[in-house]
Amino acid sequence: MGAGLDPDDLGMIADALDRVLGDAPLEAIDHAGGQGEAADALWAILEENGYPSLCVGEAHGGADAGLCDISMLARLAARHALALPLVDTALARGLLSAAGAEPPTRRIALRDPTDPDLPVAHAVQCDAVLSLDNGRLRLLAMEAASLHPEHGAEDGAARFEDNVAAEIAGVAIPDWLTARSFHALAAFTRAAAMAGAMQGALDLTLAYTSEREQFGRPLSKFQAIQHHLADIACETAAASAAVEMAGDALAADPQIGAATFDDIAIAKVRCGEAAGRVAAAAHQAHGAMGFTYEYKLGRFTRRLWQWQDEFGSAQQWSQVIGNAVLDADDPALWPIISRPI
Amino acid sequence: MFEFPRLQFDDQADALRGEVRAFLAQERAEGGFEPRADAWVSAVDPEFSRKLGERGWLGMTWPKRYGGQARPFAHRYVVTEELLAAGAPVAAHWIADRQTGSHILKYGTEEQKSTILPRIAAGECFTAIGMSEPQAGSDLAAITTSARRTDTGWTLSGRKIWSTGAHFAHYMIVLARTSPAEGRNRQVGLSQFLVDLSLPGVDISGIRDLGGTPHFNETLFTDVELPADALLGTEGDGWAQCMSELALERSGPERFLTSLIVLERALGLIARHRDDRRAGQIGSILANLRVLRRMSLGIALRLEGGEAPATEAAVVKEMGNRLENAIIEQVRAMLAGIPRGEWPDGLAKLLREAILHLPSNTLRGGTTEILRGIIARQMGMR
Repeated sequence: MGAGLDPDDLGMIADALDRVLGDAPLEAIDHAGGQGEAADALWAILEENGYPSLCVGEAHGGADAGLCDISMLARLAARHALALPLVDTALARGLLSAAGAEPPTRRIALRDPTDPDLPVAHAVQCDAVLSLDNGRLRLLAMEAASLHPEHGAEDGAARFEDNVAAEIAGVAIPDWLTARSFHALAAFTRAAAMAGAMQGALDLTLAYTSEREQFGRPLSKFQAIQHHLADIACETAAASAAVEMAGDALAADPQIGAATFDDIAIAKVRCGEAAGRVAAAAHQAHGAMGFTYEYKLGRFTRRLWQWQDEFGSAQQWSQVIGNAVLDADDPALWPIISRPI
Repeated sequence: MFEFPRLQFDDQADALRGEVRAFLAQERAEGGFEPRADAWVSAVDPEFSRKLGERGWLGMTWPKRYGGQARPFAHRYVVTEELLAAGAPVAAHWIADRQTGSHILKYGTEEQKSTILPRIAAGECFTAIGMSEPQAGSDLAAITTSARRTDTGWTLSGRKIWSTGAHFAHYMIVLARTSPAEGRNRQVGLSQFLVDLSLPGVDISGIRDLGGTPHFNETLFTDVELPADALLGTEGDGWAQCMSELALERSGPERFLTSLIVLERALGLIARHRDDRRAGQIGSILANLRVLRRMSLGIALRLEGGEAPATEAAVVKEMGNRLENAIIEQVRAMLAGIPRGEWPDGLAKLLREAILHLPSNTLRGGTTEILRGIIARQMGMR
């Protein structure tokens, strides 16, 4: 695990994934909860092309990308509103590989190491869950008996009880891989996913408001609507920049030193704040149509709201970095703001 | 949709940051300045500007033959952001260093470049912006100030308003009509002039701002005789030239970094009264500032490459203005309930000044409404 792939190589992988997702029946898969034949068929294609093993080391048969590169997967998957555990599986396999274990070709969910009672995202779509406790990474079998699905949650999130779960694999963790860094990496994937979903919501809202007519002209000709779109565009740009900044920090410092940890926290905070504003403005610009289950906007906004909370909300991460500022003998913000980017 | 590339500082930039910080610490220790909010507009100190000029920290990106240092945009960025974060008195030279100088470098005659730019770089020559008029604010193309050709040059007549620093500036770049609009197209027939404010017929009167300080002005031009070379750039290209200034005007750290000094001053006090609510507010401000800085630096890199990313600049200014106002609101919320007797010296004054400057953030240099319109147009909505 290291500094990340060459941008051109990563771009080629991204373009190919973009085409795969563009051709897949994603809406049907989503409405089936990311389960069933179509979901399995798409997963097989993703697996065949190596996307879930993007961050697995060469020795374990992976593409040997850095964990920073997972943001590419997260942004693209979210922009397509993909209802499969691609990103969490890629992170889980990357972490197992980094710890020296050959990851199995399973669909793997991630358990929040800071609070094991939180719902596990993608749980019902996966057949294993990665947990970090007592200094070990443990891959546990996901069995229906141990799952308590959260009513109305996206992508099969469920609470998971591990007292009956069989351990598939267990490996001691390297020094740098603490509950704190595991949590931060998972938060980074959610920040990147939010940036991708915001782009999806922006594209959709632009298209909708240029087609829908009221008072004899397209909504996009009304200044009030233009201002909603400008707001969405600004927040989306900021979210993107925040994810890129954290990704660059992670590429240069894959073992997540203090400054990199801060930039990941900053990305989760900024994307979380942007997500609320973007979702609200996109719904306002769409009117009642956006409030229907069938229309596509909800596939972005429902996930935005869920990702805001997964692996630490903007408020929680703000408190983490804010408390760190206030812990200093002589507290000051500028030395942190002015760090290299 | 928008491009904000990553700007990476080199070792020289890091060394420069250390030099600027040492200089500022020394100035503060010697009582050289009292930190101010909104310092790039409100804190005028020609002596301080001259000290920066002596150190080679003005006109840094310009060629050496015009008094510059031929340094990369990133180095100028380091100097400007450190000065702003410290609340240093940079208002005297700010506009000249930020945009007028670069504009003269691009459009001026050889003589203007070799006489005016070295004086700006020395911190001895200050400038003002002459765009808005009493009847033409956001609708800039509605200006009526006009310049007529004469045997020796031009005659300028009209009225400019809201020009920050015109009362001490030596030059103003004035946008004037040199030929009529073509039907509904009012962007043609406009030209820019570099006007020496000491000429006969120029009458400058101060306007006090909301807080009572006369920082901006109304300037009356009554048949001012201008030499032929006062025309800046090409006759009739004034609109496009103006727009190219805006990427410089709107994308810099002064659009999001001028309220920070108030929070920095309050931070020790807040730390003594810390709780999770206050920590969360600080964390959120930190996140927003660091991300905006990354975006603003990306624009600096594109400017260096010869681009004029006007829409990205509008994005930075729009969000930066919003953030500046939010910072002051949050500081007030964080200070609520802390006994006044514990406040450090100067905090109340700093906060009051900042509050009274807030309304101008979302107005000057393009209102929020205009910026959002620019962003919407880029997305094909207009």
